[in-house]
Amino acid sequence: MTDTVERKALTREQLLSAYRMMRAIREFEERVHAEFATGEIPGFVHLYAGEEASAVGVCSNLDGRDTIASTHRGHGHCIAKGVDVSEMMAEIYGRQTGSCHGKGGSMHIADLSKGMLGANGIVGGGPPLICGTALAAKLKGTGGVSVAFFGDGASNQGTTLESMNLASVWNLPAIFVAENNGYAETTSSTWSVASDNIADRAAGFGMPGVIVDGFDFFAVHEAASEAIARARAGGGPTLLEMKFTRYFGHFEGDQQTYRAGEVEHARAELDCLTRFAARVTETGELTRSDLDAADAEVAATIDRAVDEAKAAPLPTEADLLTDVYVRY
Amino acid sequence: MGDAIVGVVANPLSGRDIRRLVTQASVFPTAEKANMIQRMLTALAAVGVHRVLLGTDLGGISAAVFRAIERRQGAGGRWPEVEFLDGQPIRQTAQDTVDAVRRMVTAGAQVIVCLGGDGTARVTASAAGDVPMLALSTGTNNTFPAVREATIAGLAAGLVATGTVPADGVTARAKLLEARVGDRAETALIDVAVSTERHVGSRAVWDPATLTQLFCAFAEPDAIGLSSILGQLSPVARHEPHGVTARISPGAARSVLAPIAPGLVVPVGVSEIERMRPGSVYPIDARAGVIAVDGERELTFEPGQRPTVRLRADGPRCLDVPAVLAASARLGLLRRTRDGPRGRSPSSSED
Repeated sequence: MTDTVERKALTREQLLSAYRMMRAIREFEERVHAEFATGEIPGFVHLYAGEEASAVGVCSNLDGRDTIASTHRGHGHCIAKGVDVSEMMAEIYGRQTGSCHGKGGSMHIADLSKGMLGANGIVGGGPPLICGTALAAKLKGTGGVSVAFFGDGASNQGTTLESMNLASVWNLPAIFVAENNGYAETTSSTWSVASDNIADRAAGFGMPGVIVDGFDFFAVHEAASEAIARARAGGGPTLLEMKFTRYFGHFEGDQQTYRAGEVEHARAELDCLTRFAARVTETGELTRSDLDAADAEVAATIDRAVDEAKAAPLPTEADLLTDVYVRY
Repeated sequence: MGDAIVGVVANPLSGRDIRRLVTQASVFPTAEKANMIQRMLTALAAVGVHRVLLGTDLGGISAAVFRAIERRQGAGGRWPEVEFLDGQPIRQTAQDTVDAVRRMVTAGAQVIVCLGGDGTARVTASAAGDVPMLALSTGTNNTFPAVREATIAGLAAGLVATGTVPADGVTARAKLLEARVGDRAETALIDVAVSTERHVGSRAVWDPATLTQLFCAFAEPDAIGLSSILGQLSPVARHEPHGVTARISPGAARSVLAPIAPGLVVPVGVSEIERMRPGSVYPIDARAGVIAVDGERELTFEPGQRPTVRLRADGPRCLDVPAVLAASARLGLLRRTRDGPRGRSPSSSED
């Protein structure tokens, strides 16, 4: 016998919420892409478009007890974990109303009240953090699970490998989600990852490693629900490897001379939103008008977030010395 | 006789699906798949195969073989010339296997070896035509592909490819199941299962409560996978012309404890077991759901589409490895004297 979770069909509300979340990420990123080109946004942005099914497929299995750690490409994870999009947009614009009062920007959006430990400018910075929160959850017996999203580049970092080892040794409720979009900045993962499949590395740490079609919400949701249920029940860590493509460059402004054709192919054939919409309307679980209404609602939310961000005040000199230290 | 050519295709994704997580299924790293191909190359060279066509992938298997070949240069050991079937876009889907196998058939391969699970064997079979295939397990369910040492598989493939052992006596045609939904069709080598799940999702089937119908081309008592359900109730051998079908429901009066996936032994309710006649079309009764071929959810269907399943006799030609090596023993094909080969048909094993 096995102790896998009972396979329950997703409800209409769950499907609609997943679609709305993926659409919100797409819309958010496409809008940031357009706005960044105007020069109004300070710093760097790394966009998540194309990878939405990973963040949403995983985070739709999480609740208030759970924490996630993200990457430099963190907007999708933030939205999927429930961070307010207006506060996120304001943060990207460097405004006082931002999630971190405009001092962090795109790569440091965090909202601990939502269990979002932060986007992270350090490649491989997230996995050690979730070993901490997973250990806390285990010791306190909260039933909480911690998830680290990281890229193929981070999969080669010592911090990531050490964290997987520690998570296994301590049998932590930790999920490692390797988002393999094929390139660490401009370096192909087929060249830089010695084991080729990141999931292959799981065996060395005594945990299950699974490859998932990262463009398919249903595949991600199924794999994540099993991994998370296992972790909650004390079964220990899992490594999930999402295979997919990012639609934009490594950062905005990247000329992408290292790849050709794959984004067009992915957008036309594999896109998570297109496939999800086709599938749920074919089964009759949702209608086209349900999806259109969600699209309109999301578009209005993002418009409002941009307008509010642009109108919000910048931090002042007096804010420079606030939030430097935190009392625990 | 022309040059002996063996095609080898390996699925970079086999043995990595969700069953690693839900049932502790075996792990097959890329490095081991590449090692298997290298061991096979050694064996193929030993019996006189000079040319191997290797499918390419982005999973690192063909790249590892390529690096191994480069490292061997000057090392002295003899391997066949390996031609990498590149120059075609790699989609990282089953289509890559289909493309590679088609090119092997066109190039005149006498044997095609595939490394993967039941899914890989199914896809290879769909493109191999009349070329004998040899399926080696590097996947999860090992009902169709054999768990066998690659060196031995290489010897058998080589003996047949060179014509040293005639293919006719050591190959057998497998049966095939064809599942059809409107104009979409998929073939299975072992079983077709109907599930009430709505989405293909992570593909694997591991919850028997979702199953309603099962069709098996063969059902062996020692099988792993869904065919094991009927393997204990109404066994059908690979060589028999008929198949077997049944209804699956948790409330059925009769149930059987079946190993429906590695690491997963569950009671499954079974009723209305019926022999499947070759050629006859069997309707799928569920209104909507997913059809799994050889244990992987593949085709979805909606109300009104009325999918069907048909048993066909024209499956792939499969190489019987023990039979090849038994013939070799009988004919003394691998015996050597100090002066060279001693077998009865030595021409192909000399340079």
